[in-house]
Amino acid sequence: MNADSDEVTDRSIDATEPLLRLRGMSAGYGGVAVVHDLDLHVGAGEVVALLGANGAGKTTTLLTVSGLLQRLAGELTVLGVEPPMGGRFAREKVALALVRKGLAYVPEDRALFFGLSGREHLRLAARRGDGEAIELALEPFPALAAIIDRRAGLLSGGEQQMLAIARALATRPRLLLIDEMTLGLAPIIVEQLLPRVAATARSTGVGMLLVEQHVKAVLTVADRAYVMVQGRIATSGQASEMNADSQELAARYLGAIPDRHQAGPSVNLSESSSPEGTTPAERREDGGDASG
Amino acid sequence: MAHYLQLSLTGLGAGAVVAVLAIGLVLTFRASNVVNLAHAAMGTYIAYVYYGLRNFNVASTQKGGNLVLPVFGVPGVVHLIDRPTVVTALAIALVVAALVGALVYLLVFRALRNAPPLARLVASLGLFLYLQAVMELRAHDIGAGAATLPLTSLLPNGVVRLGSVVVPTASFVLAGLAVTVAVVLGAVFRYTRFGLSTRAAAESEKGAILIGVSPDRVGLLNWIIASVLAGGAMIFVAGITSQLNPTQSSLLVVPALAAALLARLDSFAMATFAGLAIGVTQSGVATFQSQAAWLPSWLPNDGLRQALPVLLILVAITIRGAHLPTRASLVDSRLPVAPVPRRPWLWIPLLSGAAVVALYTLDAQWRLAIVVSVIAALIALSCVVVTGYVGQISLALYAFAGLAAFATAKLELAGVGFPWAPLVAVILTVVVGILFGLPAVRVRGMTLAVATIAAAVAIEQLVFNSPALNGLSGVPNPQLFGSNLGFLAPGAANFRPAFGVVAVVVLAASMLAVANLRRSPTGLRWLAVRSNERAAAAAGINVGSTKLSAFAASSLFAGLGGALLAYELPALSPQQFLVVGALAVLALTYLGGIATLSGALIAGFLASGGVLTRIQGGAAADTTTQYALSGILLILVAAFYPDGLSMAVRRAITRLHSVWLRGVRSRGAT
Repeated sequence: MNADSDEVTDRSIDATEPLLRLRGMSAGYGGVAVVHDLDLHVGAGEVVALLGANGAGKTTTLLTVSGLLQRLAGELTVLGVEPPMGGRFAREKVALALVRKGLAYVPEDRALFFGLSGREHLRLAARRGDGEAIELALEPFPALAAIIDRRAGLLSGGEQQMLAIARALATRPRLLLIDEMTLGLAPIIVEQLLPRVAATARSTGVGMLLVEQHVKAVLTVADRAYVMVQGRIATSGQASEMNADSQELAARYLGAIPDRHQAGPSVNLSESSSPEGTTPAERREDGGDASG
Repeated sequence: MAHYLQLSLTGLGAGAVVAVLAIGLVLTFRASNVVNLAHAAMGTYIAYVYYGLRNFNVASTQKGGNLVLPVFGVPGVVHLIDRPTVVTALAIALVVAALVGALVYLLVFRALRNAPPLARLVASLGLFLYLQAVMELRAHDIGAGAATLPLTSLLPNGVVRLGSVVVPTASFVLAGLAVTVAVVLGAVFRYTRFGLSTRAAAESEKGAILIGVSPDRVGLLNWIIASVLAGGAMIFVAGITSQLNPTQSSLLVVPALAAALLARLDSFAMATFAGLAIGVTQSGVATFQSQAAWLPSWLPNDGLRQALPVLLILVAITIRGAHLPTRASLVDSRLPVAPVPRRPWLWIPLLSGAAVVALYTLDAQWRLAIVVSVIAALIALSCVVVTGYVGQISLALYAFAGLAAFATAKLELAGVGFPWAPLVAVILTVVVGILFGLPAVRVRGMTLAVATIAAAVAIEQLVFNSPALNGLSGVPNPQLFGSNLGFLAPGAANFRPAFGVVAVVVLAASMLAVANLRRSPTGLRWLAVRSNERAAAAAGINVGSTKLSAFAASSLFAGLGGALLAYELPALSPQQFLVVGALAVLALTYLGGIATLSGALIAGFLASGGVLTRIQGGAAADTTTQYALSGILLILVAAFYPDGLSMAVRRAITRLHSVWLRGVRSRGAT
């Protein structure tokens, strides 16, 4: 595969550069890659789901995109920035620079400030003097507005999750990453939260990448989805089509831990060589993989 | 009564200094998760800068205006301006304070923000040792003659009369300044964006980064504020004491830590109140002791004043079961590696044998060095057990060793014979060790570290400083079955090898015991408690008794070391067991490897007056420089080798081994 020519043709096809683009990216911990060769992109106003069984590498992918983890190889472009690799204090600097560019990330552990009130969270997240951003952030969560002066440590799990998302929205992001938004939440809250957040993204032109275990719920709101197996993207496609096929999707990729020898990632990759509904660029790349 | 009131109010001044120091400790803890033992030392350096600038006499030709530099290898002072005014000198000193705060953060604690708590503590210890050594040297450069600098007060000299009570105005001024600082900082932290950012970064660094707040910048600003406050406090300390002394002034951090802990390292108001209360209580207690004739005569003069407030806070913290707000960081901090000793039954007897051979072949100076190292290793071993294996940072171990030494000497001088005197002394030490371990059942981490410093200070002030214990000498040589096991002998026979053999045997037996304990269920319980107390409790481990067992074991080894010291030293004096010594023990053990047997041996090897000193050629030429160097070394090890030197060596051996194996395999394959 010729990476250079790929890049050139790619630019010519995509007149508008996506908010997030991963090309053959690998990342991991302590120099050992746990996600390999990822190709993924998110455009403005697009809601993209990242699915996979436990340990598939979804959180690692989000951490790398956020800058909190350095990639080990490949290309990564976030909001037009290519985070550098290496350097002792680079991680924090990279993450901060990306936040200023308009990246917001809601991590799995929410990373709230338990001693601060909800309002203080939003005040810190909003740019100086941007009171409007606080109102905007609270819009999807009327329940949260009522308890906004309470300390975050006193909120319930669901309320904390709402606050974490509201805090991310208050930074007026252009690209929003949410890890396990529905973790530990009641099904009824999941049903309310996902569509609301997705609607906010579409109305404001924010690109969203959602990591989810609630496959059915997320596929009803997402535009596209990627499925990760053992650190590689096994398949991708339109969310609506995957949703129609969700039984098979679950059985094939998200069910029991696949046997390493019989259903390794390479097998899955070849199976996904011509999924319907992928973008032209992806189809070409996948075809290249299969032929190469 | 009025008399007491008067003296108590006079204590407000000292209390204000403690309060401002405590506020600074709260700031740096919240900003970068460091309980900075060197906080008062940093302030003391700034006070030296101020007095270096102002040290001139209008009548004489002295010009003053010299800036004291805190770096080795450059000129000690740089002349800035002739005869600066108070305001100019104060302004320059506080600017220097801001720079020092920034430098200390950027060079030392920034890299350690995500290091284990112990590494951060040890780094601040390194800074403490370094600054103290620098000040010892610089005091000469600014014309103070001795290290102790005579001061002229910055504060008004007048008095305030409240009826029959007369109190210096300075006390009220200082107390007012402390309260103002607390109120202003409280408002800043509540209402400003900077304050919110600091609180946010303290709760979750990750969360702060994700909304564009840089924990690094927040940390830097808070270190600058804290350093300026510490500098100001120590400059004004002249209002109370008229002298500045590198060690005494730097140790003001102990009451300040007590006040900060009472405030849970969180509340400025509480820290200020506790600081003022400490000052007032100390002043009142001093009056009480000077007047109460019924107090026993062995009580040291200044004992109650120094020890009582600290002890009260120790009790308060223990009863409350305080835990510090755990400050979340970006990365989970890792504990030092605690490997199972490899083949202890092989290498410990081999090393002991080598030591015995050395004792009988080398000259007297070498024999002394070996015995000093062996005893230091024994005390370091107690540190390995309680801090390395169970994760309880105890700074009272050296005081325990001192207790055993004094008890042994007292008993021997009272006529109790050889095996019994040290035996009783060691049992007594274990009992005291368990007693002082009781707080550990309820508190942990840095709180415990400070509680144990407080305990060590209390033992030092109440027991060691007693006139009854000053200069104990003439402890008879131990005799067993008619053979002389003593160390001291007249003439060339001095430093007898027989005693060295006893010390080596005690150390070897202790190390084998620790090696076995590490592998036993007790050792597993220790490590379980170290990594997570809640998880250990959930697995059915009695956390309290597990900790106490470690405290008992560690005070046993410290006690054995102390008992040996009673026979090794020609005379015992309180100066040999100061708190600074306890800090050095922890520092050396950390250098060697806090959770390894060989770490204790390395600590013994490095100990002052031990084998390393002997290799360097006897008496260390310049102990001050050595202190400064060890301070820097300590910071470097904390930053880059948190597992200590022994693990660095062990890893290197493992790497060589695997390279060798690969070589063998590749040769086999071809």
